[in-house]
Amino acid sequence: MPTPELRVKNLKVAFTTGDEELIAVHGISYQLNRGETLALVGESGSGKTVSALSVLRLIPEPPGKILSGEILFDDKDLLKLQAKELRERRGRDIAMIFQDPMTSMNPVLTIGEQIIETLLRHTPLSRSEARVKTIDLLNQVDIPFPEQKLDQYPHQFSGGMRQRVMIAMALSCSPRVLIADEPTTALDVLIQAQIIELLKQIKKESQMSILLITHDLGVVAEIAQRVMVMYAGDIVETGPVSKLFRASLHPYTSGLINSVPALKATPQKNFRLSEISGTVPSLSQIPSGCPFHPRCPSAETRCRTDKPRLKEIAPDHAVSCWLHP
Amino acid sequence: MTIQTKTTQAPLLEVRNIKKHFQAKGISGETQTVYALNGISFTLREGETLGLVGESGCGKSTAARTVLRLIEPTAGEILYRNQDLLALRPDKMRSLRKEMQIIFQDPFASLNPRKRIDKILEEPFDIHGFTNPSKIKERVVGLLDKVGLSSDQADKYPHEFSGGQLQRIGIARAIALNPSLIVADEPVSALDVSIRAQVINLLLDLKESMQISYLFISHDMAIVRHFCDRVAVMYLGKIVELADSEPLYNKPQHPYTEALLAAIPSIDPETKKERMKIKGDLPNAMDMPRGCAFHTRCPIREKQCEESIPQLKEARPGHHVACFLRE
Repeated sequence: MPTPELRVKNLKVAFTTGDEELIAVHGISYQLNRGETLALVGESGSGKTVSALSVLRLIPEPPGKILSGEILFDDKDLLKLQAKELRERRGRDIAMIFQDPMTSMNPVLTIGEQIIETLLRHTPLSRSEARVKTIDLLNQVDIPFPEQKLDQYPHQFSGGMRQRVMIAMALSCSPRVLIADEPTTALDVLIQAQIIELLKQIKKESQMSILLITHDLGVVAEIAQRVMVMYAGDIVETGPVSKLFRASLHPYTSGLINSVPALKATPQKNFRLSEISGTVPSLSQIPSGCPFHPRCPSAETRCRTDKPRLKEIAPDHAVSCWLHP
Repeated sequence: MTIQTKTTQAPLLEVRNIKKHFQAKGISGETQTVYALNGISFTLREGETLGLVGESGCGKSTAARTVLRLIEPTAGEILYRNQDLLALRPDKMRSLRKEMQIIFQDPFASLNPRKRIDKILEEPFDIHGFTNPSKIKERVVGLLDKVGLSSDQADKYPHEFSGGQLQRIGIARAIALNPSLIVADEPVSALDVSIRAQVINLLLDLKESMQISYLFISHDMAIVRHFCDRVAVMYLGKIVELADSEPLYNKPQHPYTEALLAAIPSIDPETKKERMKIKGDLPNAMDMPRGCAFHTRCPIREKQCEESIPQLKEARPGHHVACFLRE
């Protein structure tokens, strides 16, 4: 039986623009188990990043606002913690890596200072011990010559190296949960492969749980065990990766999988990719009923008026679609 | 091969040994040279789609823009239907631009936010001297229809559209004057996954209905395989492998191509493959490695790779590779 590390219950997040309150996340619930990698997949505007940032209360308030929900970690609701208590947790128990390492590091501090700062804050190490530990961490993420690199600034690193430094920074306090927001999206494919290998290796060596946010189904298949698909602020399907990629039930999931050209199979001359028609709805114009119905090839009358709920239809496999009531 | 396809394979575009070196200021004010393109040659046949692939910084976008003379090359020749573009007078070049168009990566940045869509689409006609306003209006409606937008959207502004729709408008602008050649610079990279297939399918439709040849720039190997007849793989300003799509993907010859293909995460979790391990980063184009530019990361390099530069050679019919160990 998997042990839950982080439980999110009925999380609802909104953003205010002008007089309008737009709901970005419509009350989602999930759990991240100890030692697993759970992928949160969706297109832009699906609410995947907002729901992940909310875990550490990192969405800017205002305009953002967590309307309701609970985020349980060690049986404590992170949403109810005092700012000081939350700061203790951030970076120590739950760490984050972001898509763009350049904008998430301080450009006027050396990378060594930035990692040492985290260590001094959250561990009893002295400054010189923290320095040794930092060299060790940089070694762990395959940064060559860590003793020298320690005293360099972020701009002196390439994109891939910066992402390694970010990972080293995130791992510095051995967090139990790592939230990775599109960690390889800004990287070239060869460097992406290196970072995926690195994350896999880190997983092997620790019991860390990873919540991986991505739009790239290939990356999901490479490192995640379970996946949640989000659309217009709702989880529309969740299940084990092996099952979801072979026998997805939600038409949106299937559409996403089928619209990616296969690298292996020889394409037929002038063969058309299967497409999902229409566009991703904007938050101010979420369709009634099932939000996917205007783009759904199998939409029925009921889909236009009634919103389906996420329902478990096999152990660990849930879908919100009227085709599978 | 039928006779018909043979006759359509005259080269539309021939690029010979083009180079582009940029001068850049270093941190301490000294001038440095960025070796963006180091002599690339290829031909694009009539009706063909040629893919240019590689990582960021390999020079693929510079190559695309140089072909259209949006960037002037440092050296080399560009022949379009046997005319040397670099030797053309400006007025002649301008009128030739009708036939060669470009689609950009970022549809938000490539359309004027202060212009209505119909004005954006009328512009190519104005520039190239079409004067009959009612005819132009008719053409704009026809263009919108061709790219899958309705004519009642013509009086809207770019911000009222989604990324995928904007890219359709960018495509409508590119096909307005019935071009023979379209350079598509990462046309779907900025789009959501569910929208990419729509745009790729639209480009395929246009290729068939308008006999367009594409130079297709992308870093997405799967989309290139799907879309292109032939593929050129670039590394640090050079083509390292050039072949028809099928042999290139099934039997890549250059170790860099092999590594690129192996690095792509597959969506089939059952086909986990042994990955070719490529260490390190792309070298700096201001400080090119000696010898083969890939030798610093190559898992099979030998002594000669560090000393001399391999030339692009035909290893088997139609399959070119620049590698001492694979030629």
